[in-house]
Amino acid sequence: MFTHLLLLSIAAPLAAAAVISAGIPARLAKVVAALGFLAPALIALHVWYHFSAQTLNQGYAFTTSYATGLQSLGIKLTLGLNGIALPLYVLAGVVGLAAGLYAIQSGAERIKTYLALLLIMQAGLMGVFASVDIFFFYFFHELALIPTFIMVGVWGGKDRGYAAMKMTIYLTAGAMLSLLGLIAIYYKSGAENFDLITLRQTILQGGIAGGAQNLIFGLLMFGFGILVSLWPLHTWAPLGYGAAPSSAAMLHAGVLKKFGLYGLVQIAVPLLPLGAAHWAQPLAWLAVAGNLLVIGFITIAQRDLKQMVGYSSVMHMGYAFLGVATLSAVGAGGVILMMVAHGFSVSLLFLLSTSVYHRTQTFDLTEMGGLAQKTPVLAAFFVTATMASIGLPGLANFWGELTIFVAAWQFSKVLTVLAVSGVVISAIYGLRAAARVFFGQHTEALTKVLAEKPATDLRWSEKIPALILIAALFFIGFWPKSLSTPLNAALEAVYPAKGPTITIVGQ
Amino acid sequence: MPNSVFGYSPTVIALLTLLTPLASAAVIALFLRRQGSIAALISTFTAALVAAGGLTLAFGGYREAAVDASTAWLTLGNFTLSLGIKFDDLSALMISIVGVVGLCVHVFSLGYMHDDSAKARYFGGLSIFMFSMLGIVLADNLFMIFIFWELVGFSSYVLINHYDHRQTAADASKKAFITNRVGDFGFLLGIIACYYVFGTVNLTQITAAAGTGDTSLTLIALLLFCGAVGKSAQVPLHVWLPDAMEGPTPVSALIHAATMVAAGIFMLCRIEPLFAAAPVALTVVMWVGAVTALYAALCAITQSDIKKILAYSTLSQLGYMVAAFGLGRLDITPDGETSKMALITAGAAAAMFHLTTHAFFKALMFLGSGSVIHGCHHEQDIFKMGGLAKKMPLTFITFTIGVLAIIGMPAIIGMPFLAGFFSKDAILYLAMENNTPVFIILAFSAVLTAFYMVRLWRLVFFGAPRTEDASHAHEGGISMVLPLIALAILSVIGGYTAIYGNAFKAVWSQIPVAHGAAHTTILIVSVAVMLVGAGLALVLYKPAATDALAAKSPALFALLSVLKGSFDGVYNWYVAKVQQRFALLLEFLERIFLSGLIIRGLSGVVGLVGLGARALHVGSLHAYVYWFLFGAAVLWAFAGGWLN
Repeated sequence: MFTHLLLLSIAAPLAAAAVISAGIPARLAKVVAALGFLAPALIALHVWYHFSAQTLNQGYAFTTSYATGLQSLGIKLTLGLNGIALPLYVLAGVVGLAAGLYAIQSGAERIKTYLALLLIMQAGLMGVFASVDIFFFYFFHELALIPTFIMVGVWGGKDRGYAAMKMTIYLTAGAMLSLLGLIAIYYKSGAENFDLITLRQTILQGGIAGGAQNLIFGLLMFGFGILVSLWPLHTWAPLGYGAAPSSAAMLHAGVLKKFGLYGLVQIAVPLLPLGAAHWAQPLAWLAVAGNLLVIGFITIAQRDLKQMVGYSSVMHMGYAFLGVATLSAVGAGGVILMMVAHGFSVSLLFLLSTSVYHRTQTFDLTEMGGLAQKTPVLAAFFVTATMASIGLPGLANFWGELTIFVAAWQFSKVLTVLAVSGVVISAIYGLRAAARVFFGQHTEALTKVLAEKPATDLRWSEKIPALILIAALFFIGFWPKSLSTPLNAALEAVYPAKGPTITIVGQ
Repeated sequence: MPNSVFGYSPTVIALLTLLTPLASAAVIALFLRRQGSIAALISTFTAALVAAGGLTLAFGGYREAAVDASTAWLTLGNFTLSLGIKFDDLSALMISIVGVVGLCVHVFSLGYMHDDSAKARYFGGLSIFMFSMLGIVLADNLFMIFIFWELVGFSSYVLINHYDHRQTAADASKKAFITNRVGDFGFLLGIIACYYVFGTVNLTQITAAAGTGDTSLTLIALLLFCGAVGKSAQVPLHVWLPDAMEGPTPVSALIHAATMVAAGIFMLCRIEPLFAAAPVALTVVMWVGAVTALYAALCAITQSDIKKILAYSTLSQLGYMVAAFGLGRLDITPDGETSKMALITAGAAAAMFHLTTHAFFKALMFLGSGSVIHGCHHEQDIFKMGGLAKKMPLTFITFTIGVLAIIGMPAIIGMPFLAGFFSKDAILYLAMENNTPVFIILAFSAVLTAFYMVRLWRLVFFGAPRTEDASHAHEGGISMVLPLIALAILSVIGGYTAIYGNAFKAVWSQIPVAHGAAHTTILIVSVAVMLVGAGLALVLYKPAATDALAAKSPALFALLSVLKGSFDGVYNWYVAKVQQRFALLLEFLERIFLSGLIIRGLSGVVGLVGLGARALHVGSLHAYVYWFLFGAAVLWAFAGGWLN
């Protein structure tokens, strides 16, 4: 019953893209696109629901292999999910649906091409996290990345040309470094194919020498690091997201960007433990001093709402890198939870920022104010998204931050203290932005805009994608076990146990 | 001990009490956004259920073994975060306070917020607050306390921001949240440190293990105290509480006077053995409390906004509680036994006792001020009131009881002592035994308390109405009067621990009680203090439209005003001149160096690594796509053997 589901989740959006490209009328194209986004989302939820009942093979469920004609190179299309991949696969499905629905109602020019590109991206995203084979893991990433560049370059806002170019250069460079690292793992392991399960088994038997591990992990750390906007290789991110059309920003910042961290947690750290230990300190310092503190303060200085969201997303990646650096099951688990939660919350913020823009005609925070009086629902959603992103318990993001802090304490107390100060920094810029957009009185600039075009509250076509994301944030916030149970089982198999042994003190 | 209530186990009752307000908030948020009146009824009904559930548990004798339960919420590696209930006398006391005051405030709000355009959001906010507050009260471990700690902060944010079109309200809500986050920064670190030192964050296990902690214990205790400094608004994080008065008045009564701000003291009492094992930390706590008690009382003197006076009064009283906690154990106990066997020490017991009576009389006075504000068409300046004793007799009588309670009035001979008298006496007595400077500070603060409260009382209720609004003042409806009466009764009898039966024995039994000569001394001191303060105020302030102190002693008045503004001044300077400039500087550097110089150089290097790939990318995006497709095709061709 599950045999081809993962493949279907990749094929369905591709097929929808093909049908749309075949020249059907725009209205029909929207229906096809909706189905193309709905299928992977439903499949993701379906496999999530049934995951716990599966018999795992080497930690993986739903494993299926397809011949691709590349067997002579050791490459097969092997799809499957383990506890680490599952949360991100679900993330990809759900955010994809929300971004897709938001794009369908966006009224973008050349909507059919736009939707087709977005569907290709969606196929790539589902593929990335469903791939057991690291060749296809990389291939699907590229498949999702290329449409991003085109969407930014063609449908983007201000500075789209420059932004698209910068994104392309950076992300291509990052991807190539990562590719080098991945090939090096394959080569050094002496495994016969790119299959992660085989790789892991081969390495467990032989192992890679420490020196080689250091080199390879370094390549992956910086390669993946660029893709996830590790400071100081992050400058593409705020610029790119600032210019990207909202659905592309949602899918990239929300899902695709997680490719790098996922690669570190799923592949690099377990396969290269010595290399990871070698790089852990510098990685953690870059993450905390660079991403969390420097970028945190820069985020406070932003006047542009979308740039602010972009920078905040760079900042939050600092928590994730810190979690990776702890090299523990708690930290790695925190990273995965954090990524999933951040994916939902940042895509929600991009979505709502665009909805704000449609009402204020500007992203400039100093030209807004008092919008809540006209759009109470939008305001409530925005505050919810902000609260999620600053780690309020009850919403998903809290779990990742908390567990990363807990793991970090054992790694370095100084870094933990610095990192926890991030909760104050993010509260400052988050609440400041919410207050400037929605509370107080209208600025003169906004009064003028509203006089020409009175603001109406969120339409249902905007509400539904937003509600999908909000529901996800609450669901994981209230029931983190739904992700953490399979996640923990997978992590405990490959990560060393750390943390205090619980001693029950007699009463 | 009975094992079930109406066929439900006490655990289930506790869970229902906790979750009903959450359900109420969810229903209101999802379905009742435009049905404010229905939302109000649901929320109030929920509050009644909470009060019923809480009181049943508290007075039904259901305690730890019968109620406690725990379940894992999240497990990663060997870290497990649990949700659990710990229901001892301390939580029983707290749940009773939250239930009773919560119900009073809900009922009062029915009248006070009757015409509000965002009534659903308001009552939804109250419900989410009740849920969060109960979570703190019932929590059996520190992480769980932290979770609900953050949630009360959120509900406070939403409710302070209720009148969101006001810039002041928007600023105040933001300030409250961020200031609390500063405290929570330390709190969270303290909890994590606790987890590593003791291997657990479970309250029962921590308290059992407290003695075994190493030297880091002082640091841990102080970090945890940071949480209380934020939530209970102690100096230097007190600045958010006066601003929080931007919220609707019933919110000020419930959240910013009776319950949420007292959560800090409750939390301290929860982990009291940690402090007992860290005397340095305890001393810091004592001084922070004493300074807050004095500082806030001084600030209250120059205020003209009725709610601001009550807010500073709240700060000051919270300072009393924190100082009481910091005073620690009382070495002499009447029956000669040490208090080591007790749940908490004398200091913690005195703090909880004062927390209880304060919850009643301060909620009473806030609701009374709400009644006044409502009656005077949203006038909050006490110099623009006057003569309300005749216009609003019920409010006057109940408010007067509140005033007498807070200034520690033993009333006229033959009349009962009012609640605040006993609890303030307990604190003063403890201070007298343990630390003379603190005793002097607290006694002097008590003079000030009597002074500013009588000032307020005189200006609001006596003389002739000084404005049009005041002359047309009227009592609110029944829903606004009933809670006042209920709280007034509690303010009278709440100080007699006998009325609670044995319900909170573990707490009440530790309240320091003076005997013999000490008893006489403390009685004389507190009556004298009260008479001096009240007398000075009566002499100085006649019902008038201007501040008599400002007229008679402008220098003193100016000094007190400066004192009040000093913290805000420093913080505003920091935010505007340091934080913002630093942020702008970093942004500037980023633009110049990272985006400008370094990255251009770096991208060249990266390009080399990428086998000169950069050259292929500079052209157009389409070129990249074609190269990708070309590469993929070549790869497949190679693998398929067509190239050989």
